[in-house]
Amino acid sequence: MTTTPTDAAARPSPSPDSRPGRQRPGDRPRRPAREVLAALPWIGPSLALIIAIVLFPAGYMAYNSTREISSSGIDRGSVGLANYATIFDIPALPRVLANTVVWVVVVVVLTVVISLALANLLDKQFPGRQLVRLAVIVPWAASVVMTTTVVYYGLQPNYGIINQLLADVGILEVADYGFTRNAVPAFVVSILVAVFVSLPFTTYTLLAGMQSIPGDVVEAARMDGATKARTYFAVILPQLKPALAVAAIINIINVFNSLPILRIMTGSIPGYDADTTTTLIFKLIQSDRRVDLASALSVVNFVIVIAVIALYMRIVKPMKGVDE
Amino acid sequence: MSTEPPAALGPAATREARREVAAAVAPSARPVVRRKPSRYRTGGPGSGGSVPGRMVAGFLVAAIFLVPYVIMLVGSLKTRPEILRIPPTYVPTEWRFDNYLTMWSTPETPLPQNLVSTIVISVSATLLVLVVALPAAYFTARFRFPGRLAFLFLVLVTQMLQPAVLVAGLFRQFLAFGIVDTWLAMILVNSAFNLAFAVWIMHSFFASVPKEIDEAAQIDGAGRWAVLFRINLPLVWPGIVTAIIFTFVAAWNEFAASLVILSTAGNQPLSVALTKFVGQYDSAWQYVFGVSIVAIVPVIILFAIIEKRLVGGLTAGSIK
Amino acid sequence: MKHPQLVEHPDTTKRPLRLVSLTLVAGLTLSACGFGGSGSDETGEGGTVTLDLLVPTYSDGTKGLWDDVIAGFEAENEGITVNLEVQSWDNINDVVRTKVQSGQAPDILNIDAFAGFVEDDLLYSADEVLSEETVADFQESFVENASMDGKQYGLPLIASARTMFYNQDLFDEAGIDAPPTTWDELAEAATQISELGGGTYGYGLPLGAEETQAEAGIWFFGGGGGYGDAETLTLDSPENIEASQFVQELATSGATQPDAGATDRTPLIDVFIQGNIGMIVGLPPTIGQIAEKNPDLNYGTAPIATKDGSPVTLGVADHLMAFENDGDKQEAIGAFLDYFYSADVYVPWVDAEGFLPVTQSGSEALADKETIAPFLDLLPAAQFYPSTNPQWSTAQGAMQQLYGQVAQGSDPAEVLGEIQARVDS
Repeated sequence: MTTTPTDAAARPSPSPDSRPGRQRPGDRPRRPAREVLAALPWIGPSLALIIAIVLFPAGYMAYNSTREISSSGIDRGSVGLANYATIFDIPALPRVLANTVVWVVVVVVLTVVISLALANLLDKQFPGRQLVRLAVIVPWAASVVMTTTVVYYGLQPNYGIINQLLADVGILEVADYGFTRNAVPAFVVSILVAVFVSLPFTTYTLLAGMQSIPGDVVEAARMDGATKARTYFAVILPQLKPALAVAAIINIINVFNSLPILRIMTGSIPGYDADTTTTLIFKLIQSDRRVDLASALSVVNFVIVIAVIALYMRIVKPMKGVDE
Repeated sequence: MSTEPPAALGPAATREARREVAAAVAPSARPVVRRKPSRYRTGGPGSGGSVPGRMVAGFLVAAIFLVPYVIMLVGSLKTRPEILRIPPTYVPTEWRFDNYLTMWSTPETPLPQNLVSTIVISVSATLLVLVVALPAAYFTARFRFPGRLAFLFLVLVTQMLQPAVLVAGLFRQFLAFGIVDTWLAMILVNSAFNLAFAVWIMHSFFASVPKEIDEAAQIDGAGRWAVLFRINLPLVWPGIVTAIIFTFVAAWNEFAASLVILSTAGNQPLSVALTKFVGQYDSAWQYVFGVSIVAIVPVIILFAIIEKRLVGGLTAGSIK
Repeated sequence: MKHPQLVEHPDTTKRPLRLVSLTLVAGLTLSACGFGGSGSDETGEGGTVTLDLLVPTYSDGTKGLWDDVIAGFEAENEGITVNLEVQSWDNINDVVRTKVQSGQAPDILNIDAFAGFVEDDLLYSADEVLSEETVADFQESFVENASMDGKQYGLPLIASARTMFYNQDLFDEAGIDAPPTTWDELAEAATQISELGGGTYGYGLPLGAEETQAEAGIWFFGGGGGYGDAETLTLDSPENIEASQFVQELATSGATQPDAGATDRTPLIDVFIQGNIGMIVGLPPTIGQIAEKNPDLNYGTAPIATKDGSPVTLGVADHLMAFENDGDKQEAIGAFLDYFYSADVYVPWVDAEGFLPVTQSGSEALADKETIAPFLDLLPAAQFYPSTNPQWSTAQGAMQQLYGQVAQGSDPAEVLGEIQARVDS
């Protein structure tokens, strides 16, 4: 893990202490209140928008999680933390939590690894590259619901085109394999779709990162006699870390909270073998009509994501280079 | 845009400053280095070094990424009975291009109005996000103040909430504001819930612009806002493009909140309109697929126009 | 609000911001309206009343049919306008619950179950909004299923009954003379058809989440069991367990399509329509779908096979219901509903949707119609869900989420026990 001196290192880098008083020596003593006040015109609109739009619904969700709410939506009063107790009593919960972990880890890891390869390819010159780049972007433009729906339709037994293709090339005997009708294959297919729709954003993030790696760094490594693979892992990959970190954090949040893929792919399967916490929330609303329980589980879900992201930020420090 | 010299500065100073920035800020501003023929990009694991090899790999990648949408397109050109035929047909036996005409005047949903609603909501939400997120991103990248990290984390927290559970509160709140069933409500929802990414990405881009540039401008007498708009903005343009795309795509495809908040058929976006073709016992799949294609096209066009800036910019800010 | 250290140059600095703001303000002002129908449901000036009508999509003609009804009504009733909102079945419950939670219930709602709303005291009873003639025109059996504690709250809208559809060509090919009437005959016939191979299945068994409670109910009723009544729900009765064991045997022996526990009804009926299934329980709209998608299908309908051969069917009724809300639209709601249930309006409506009428006048008018005749005859023997039991929606949700496991080999008694436990909790 050697870092070759680069022109990047020679760049004027922002001074670590960059508070407003910096330009004025006379302003040295920090005045927190004044600094916050100075920040307000700049961050105020964002805060206002978040407080005006997000705060109430989020609070209402937490409030609902302590109420008993009838199936038609009438609030029947407080039940304290009973909804949470009910949630933690769900027998399928351990399986659902395990699924959630598998879901997030596998999807994010696969996405990142495949994106690295894709970015590597799209970074190189070849005729038609522009078109390939455009093709890679299409799943980003399409809504996840529709991408999933069309894959679901294609995998339907009997009249699905993908199923039929597998039968025509001899992989299946009859075109009626239930990809979407058994927990394990449906979960696997869902993971593939989730990776598929996450690739464009991640690939483009890494691609941008790769393009900004100075050519001479690599050149230098080459001249030192490093192999291609060694150059990649020792020089290019470390340079990509900030891009990777940002891509991963956004993927973790999105994948954790992703509903449509599993809902469509595994929706007809009985039991909870293919559920994550997010789809369980959805089932509590849709099938059980228990918006109070769903709110409680959402609060739990929210706490988990925050913990994961906080932990991630502590370990990976995705804002490093910006903050420090 | 980026070639316009900031008026607040003298032309010479500007050129000087710009060159400095060009040296410091990443990719799009460093064409000389990037276009050098001797490049590491001929190497790396996972792809052959030969150009034909890359073309084959590129073709395969493009094919895989397009398969679902080709199925969608072909489906949208089939007749209604053919779409569920057993065995399925790879190519329509009867091409129904008129599905793309008839979809605009079905009794189920006023599609032209849905398209207008989708455009109004996404464009306005994107603009609002820009106006609100830009100053916040700039300031948090430039200055330390108590609560700065808390602010950035709070912004990110909005992304972690479950829309399906939030809609009850959103509906109640907009009822109190008196804007249920208006575009305005959905513009606010889409803006608030997409603010996070816009702030984060633009933040990291601003952070990569050297402070010295700002200081030079300020010495010349430019105000803080002038520094932002005249000096920084052109330099972080790729980051802004990225934020635009993210917000736009997310708003374009938003479903959960629109479903409940917009009750008049014409006000609903395409994502909700699509569900109107799904019946209890039977669905008009040719329209579901057709409308999906129609919904993808504008976004692809947007991408095609700004793809270069996007690649140039996505993570320039996070490169040290 | 200026930055402490810096002097601003407003004329040169704010122009771009102002431009964007201006565009934005213009956009937001415009967007405050949208396409009409601002959701105002107050009684306006000049005595105009606006009714909100929320309905699900039965078919892709649903919205057009309601538009016609509303146009006709508004022409006759000056001062009342009706706002129509159509939602898919997947979404309508979410929309209704959110609105009710915020005190914004529609004035008239079309949905399957109403017991929950009655429990929460949200609905007008039938006699509060309908004229005596309209109330008297409902068929007796539906009124019973629309009443709680002797008072009618649900306004029956459409009915459907199930009957068995069979593929005559597959029957001939497998050498089956007549449609089976008992379970044992059904299992035998189904096995014979499945043995034809090539992607043909004897019996189409849709136990996936879409409408598990319907297919399961047919087996429960056919074995002498059921779901219980308005007071008590009983799902784990010995009869139901026995029926489930039979279903399991059928599914695991290959007499049905694969993965029966996760097969939804709608796609499976399409497979029948394409000629790949020997027998399946269908409903009135199935006839229209066959005519549209595969008119060459050589099929017949027959009573559903039961354990001992005595005919039984599942009847399902969907309802309209009138919400009290502020209590100031009773009259207008009544006017609309009386108009809708008048034979001239109701009969073409129910006919176009392809369901069975629930009014006496409607039944008389449509008695000869061949697409619904086979179902009309079944109605007297029909068993209904205990949908007036407030626990029914819980039972239905639990059935949808869990019962399919029976077809995957789980112990039927255990699965039904778990469902029962959820209902009882």
